[in-house]
Amino acid sequence: MSGFAPAGDPVIPDYGDVSQCVANNDLFCADWFAAQWPEVFQPALLEHILMTVLAIAIGFVISFLAAVLAYRKRWLTAPIGVTATILYTLPPLALFQLLVPLTGLTLLTVEIALVCFTLVILFRAVLSGLTGVPEDVKRSARGMGMDQGQILRRIELPLAIPSIISGLRIATVLTVSIATIAAFVVDSGLGSPILKAISSPFNTQFIGAGALAVLLAFALDALLTLLGKALTPWTKARS
Amino acid sequence: MTVKTRSTSSSIPGTCCDARTTTPRRRSPRPRRSGRPGHRDGLVTRRRALTGVAGAAGLLALGACGTGGSTGSGAGSGSGAATGAGGGSASGGSGVITVGSKGFSESWINGELYAQALRARGYEVDLKTNVGSAELIDAAQQSGQIDLYPEYTGVIVMTLAGEEELMDTGEGTYDFARRFEADRGVTVLNATPFENKNAIAVTRDFADQHGLRTIEDLRGIGDFTYSTYPENVSGGQGYDAIVAAYDLPNMGLQTLSIGLNYQALEKGEIQAADVFTTDPQLLRSDLVVLEDTKNLFGFQNVVPCLRTDLLDRVGDDVPELLDTISSLMTLEAVQAMNSASAINRLDPAQVAQRFLEANDLL
Repeated sequence: MSGFAPAGDPVIPDYGDVSQCVANNDLFCADWFAAQWPEVFQPALLEHILMTVLAIAIGFVISFLAAVLAYRKRWLTAPIGVTATILYTLPPLALFQLLVPLTGLTLLTVEIALVCFTLVILFRAVLSGLTGVPEDVKRSARGMGMDQGQILRRIELPLAIPSIISGLRIATVLTVSIATIAAFVVDSGLGSPILKAISSPFNTQFIGAGALAVLLAFALDALLTLLGKALTPWTKARS
Repeated sequence: MTVKTRSTSSSIPGTCCDARTTTPRRRSPRPRRSGRPGHRDGLVTRRRALTGVAGAAGLLALGACGTGGSTGSGAGSGSGAATGAGGGSASGGSGVITVGSKGFSESWINGELYAQALRARGYEVDLKTNVGSAELIDAAQQSGQIDLYPEYTGVIVMTLAGEEELMDTGEGTYDFARRFEADRGVTVLNATPFENKNAIAVTRDFADQHGLRTIEDLRGIGDFTYSTYPENVSGGQGYDAIVAAYDLPNMGLQTLSIGLNYQALEKGEIQAADVFTTDPQLLRSDLVVLEDTKNLFGFQNVVPCLRTDLLDRVGDDVPELLDTISSLMTLEAVQAMNSASAINRLDPAQVAQRFLEANDLL
């Protein structure tokens, strides 16, 4: 039944002409980028945002719980910190690839790796925010009759917000960057067009995807800054 | 830097690269197609290193998923293990077909052709692009992480089966590949009319001047220079092997990144160059491909390799559809698609989509 497929009579579609810019591989071909935006770059950008936000959200929840725990039980600080640091020092690509046998070529693999890299930053940010609350402030809260939970929610956490936000900003910018490597595992995110252009270098594709990653990092950073300001109105009043 | 080398690198998508860094198989490693154009490019070199890491991990994956997935029946459970995160309960296995592609543009397009056409027939398809070299993607298929991927018959014979003696015909190569894969639970469907392999090209002027038609004709025409990529000097199809097989002491060597061959030929810096037969640049330049009368380069038609147990859970329409796609993959069609990728810079998915639309497969 099998053998060589008889040569069919394929209709070869017209793939269109190439602009001079594309043919010369000039630095940036706006016409090409605009044409590829809806099918290539916009979906890649949205996937990248999703990957980043998901990793930061999960990483934050884990780090937050770990930091509160370490704040209560100080002896846990060192083991948690060391674990997070070890995860952080792993080369991202190696971590991605080490996870592949366990979780496959999937978004789960990517997210596990991305979350691992946020932990050390976010854990330390939350913890240092909490430990940075002046002792006399906590004493006066206790003097007002607050219990430990109330002090945490109403005194310590609000005062830790600036530190937490600055940790989130660093972690977010880092994650936007590392998520481009995720393209080695899943065909997703801004790393995907970059990866596809590596074997056949095309400047517009590198610069387009790279610039989008940079802009995304700036935008998320600015959003977090605004969020921090909104959450700490008293700092504005004070200054 | 990249600006200058664009025309160089645009040849890559046509090449068929199993980053063959890892196969010291028996005595002769046959580093066939190990060439990724532009190896000297830092990025590409780095990328290969990365692929190496991926390779190690992928082989680990083989073990992990082999054990993890062995509870169910065959491919279903295997791909369930591999794609479990995304697909959840894919292990029941009726719906999802996992299609893979290798680490270069011609394979990306091919994978998209399979995936998009299958989706249009109502199958749920999970496409894993850029899985890697022949060894890697084969390991992934054997472990059930991938149901279907396009492979080159010569690569199956030389790399996967480790054969040293090549077959004399494309049919012989195909038959060997089919039997080899059948024993491992993989069904090889019809081969494409086109093939993509190494070849020696000269300019038309040079060919006319010396009356060249075959590689043998190069003997005794006086000294001339041949260029290939640096990784392809020794090995079964490298410079040394060509000189030995065709007895060409008059053939000098200059190693160049693959895409640079074309410029160097046109400038007359070299007279003969190692090219890939589906390279879009080959179309654009006025070159003559010399016939490989001694069959040094083997045969490299593409076959859809699919896990035999997949055939049990899908309809006959799947092999029929794949055969239809294969029959449409003539040299002209594949060159046009590679060109759309390398010259027009379209995404592999776009290239495949337009081709399928034009041929009423979507």
